[in-house]
Amino acid sequence: MSQGGYGDEIREIRVPRPPIRRLLALAIVVLIVIIALSSFYTVGPEENGVVLRFGRFMRTTEPGLHFKFPMGVERVYKIPVQRQLKEEFGFTTVSSGIRSQYSTSGRAGESNMLTGDLNAAVVEWVVQYRIVDSYKHLFRVRSPRETLRAMSEAIMREVVGDRTVNEVLTVGRQEVASLVEVQLQELCDQYELGVKVEQVVLQDVNPPDPVKPAFNEVNEAQQERERLINEAQSEYNQVIPRAKGEALQTIERAEGYALDRVNRAQGDAERFDAIFTAYQSAPEVTRKRIYLETMGKILPKVKDKILIDEKLRSVLPLLNLDRRGEEK
Amino acid sequence: MRWGIVTAVLLLWIVLANSLYVVNEAEQVIITQFGKPVGEPIDAPGLKLKIPFVQTIHRFDRRFLEWDGDANELPTRDKRFIWVNTYARWRISDPLLYFQRLRDERGAQTRLDDILDGETRNAIANHDLVEVIRSTNRQPADSDLDAEEQTIFAQIETGRRAIQETILAAAQQRVTDLGIEILDLRFKRINYVEEVRKKVYERMIAERRRIADRFRSEGQGEAQRILGEKERELKRIQSEAYRTAQSIIGRADAEATRIFAGAYDRSPQTRSFYSFLKTMETYETTIDDKTSLIFSTDSEFTGYLRDSTQR
Repeated sequence: MSQGGYGDEIREIRVPRPPIRRLLALAIVVLIVIIALSSFYTVGPEENGVVLRFGRFMRTTEPGLHFKFPMGVERVYKIPVQRQLKEEFGFTTVSSGIRSQYSTSGRAGESNMLTGDLNAAVVEWVVQYRIVDSYKHLFRVRSPRETLRAMSEAIMREVVGDRTVNEVLTVGRQEVASLVEVQLQELCDQYELGVKVEQVVLQDVNPPDPVKPAFNEVNEAQQERERLINEAQSEYNQVIPRAKGEALQTIERAEGYALDRVNRAQGDAERFDAIFTAYQSAPEVTRKRIYLETMGKILPKVKDKILIDEKLRSVLPLLNLDRRGEEK
Repeated sequence: MRWGIVTAVLLLWIVLANSLYVVNEAEQVIITQFGKPVGEPIDAPGLKLKIPFVQTIHRFDRRFLEWDGDANELPTRDKRFIWVNTYARWRISDPLLYFQRLRDERGAQTRLDDILDGETRNAIANHDLVEVIRSTNRQPADSDLDAEEQTIFAQIETGRRAIQETILAAAQQRVTDLGIEILDLRFKRINYVEEVRKKVYERMIAERRRIADRFRSEGQGEAQRILGEKERELKRIQSEAYRTAQSIIGRADAEATRIFAGAYDRSPQTRSFYSFLKTMETYETTIDDKTSLIFSTDSEFTGYLRDSTQR
């Protein structure tokens, strides 16, 4: 006000009053900011927000930015309803990725179970589920995850307990998985877990380790059986078609022989007929001619030709026509 | 004056904080006044009012609670020792009674241990192992093994589910005056104890060996059968071919014989001419350079040597 009066200077020097008003204003601004900030909340794309006002359920909210009463009047619980959740039984995923690594250590208790024929089997499985009713999931059951695990183990054992070890290991796998899925869903509904079981997947289903070699032996024996049978079959197939061919050959050959035989006989007979007809016109001469012709053919081949005169039987020396000829 | 306001606000705050309370969706509350319960239990959620400092609230869970039993080694009726692990689901149905009888959840869990383990032990001891394992009289489906290896399940009378229900019913009876309600009980795990397990493994191994042996001998048997069939088939094919061939040959021979007879056996002339011709042919084929021929001068051929006018 005044332009640098003395009195003014004295006022300036006085210890300043604490600026309560300013502090108060600042506190109010901070308070308003805090209230404003705690009035808004965001719900992630995979989540649902469950809003309670003084502990009472008010509404569920979809993904996005939302308003709520601040200062703890309304509280929000966020539940990942869109996310597929997974529980592993009998093993744990150590590191997941393209080549996931699994560990079964410490989980043997979960996977060892008895089958209906009182044998033992080691079953590892996965339950995939989604939270569909976030209210129930939050406020109807305490520790829903542990409950789900216990249910799943109980049902798996019940289903496996109705089957033989063979069924569980081989043909019944799919059936076991789908039956567990159905029964687990029923139980989830009954327990009001607010959970939808999406899939139950059987992973490794094995006989217990000490028994494994014996099971493999059965497989090997089965293979061996197939092999032996196939070998025998192949030998059969090698021999039989060939024998059939050979049989046909034999028959064809016989047919050939038959044709040959009959034709030759026919020919011989016809030849005979012809000759005989001719012969009949001059039997005497023809006979003689044939006889002499034959002699003419055979005698040159014969080495010793001996002539014996009936009348000189005792004294006359033997004539050896051929040898004489040679000696000449 | 200013300090007076601050003090009043603080006091009001403390009083309000002590008289207002929130009941969660998951909770139920009972109120005690100097230790004495007053009013009905409150299980509707929301902001509630009580007399400050005088009344105390006790919160209890309103949700379904879990009970997970320890594994117990129990004998079945057929004297097999198994590990049995059960779980149950329960809730506090009467918080006041619960508060009076059990005080808190630790007390409740301990009581549930006693009751459920005891009932489980009774039920297991009253049933054979197979009844505990199986639930239905379902017969196993065909496996890849042969019919002879099919297991046929013996009939069960009770079954797992019914045993669970028996235990549940018996336990429910025993918790009615504890302010709690058991809603379900199930066997979570059942396993052989170590010694039994070894024996079971041995049995399983022996069983597999037996099956493997059977497969092997089956394979050998089947192979032998096929080989035998091969032999038989071979003989059949060969002999049938022989038979057919022989009969063809025979028929041909017969035909030839008939033809010859028709030609040669017509009259005495043909017979004699045939025997003459045939003899001549036979001479040609049988007489060779190793043959010695002795002719009598009386014979037709040499006759002319002696006498050209013979005959």
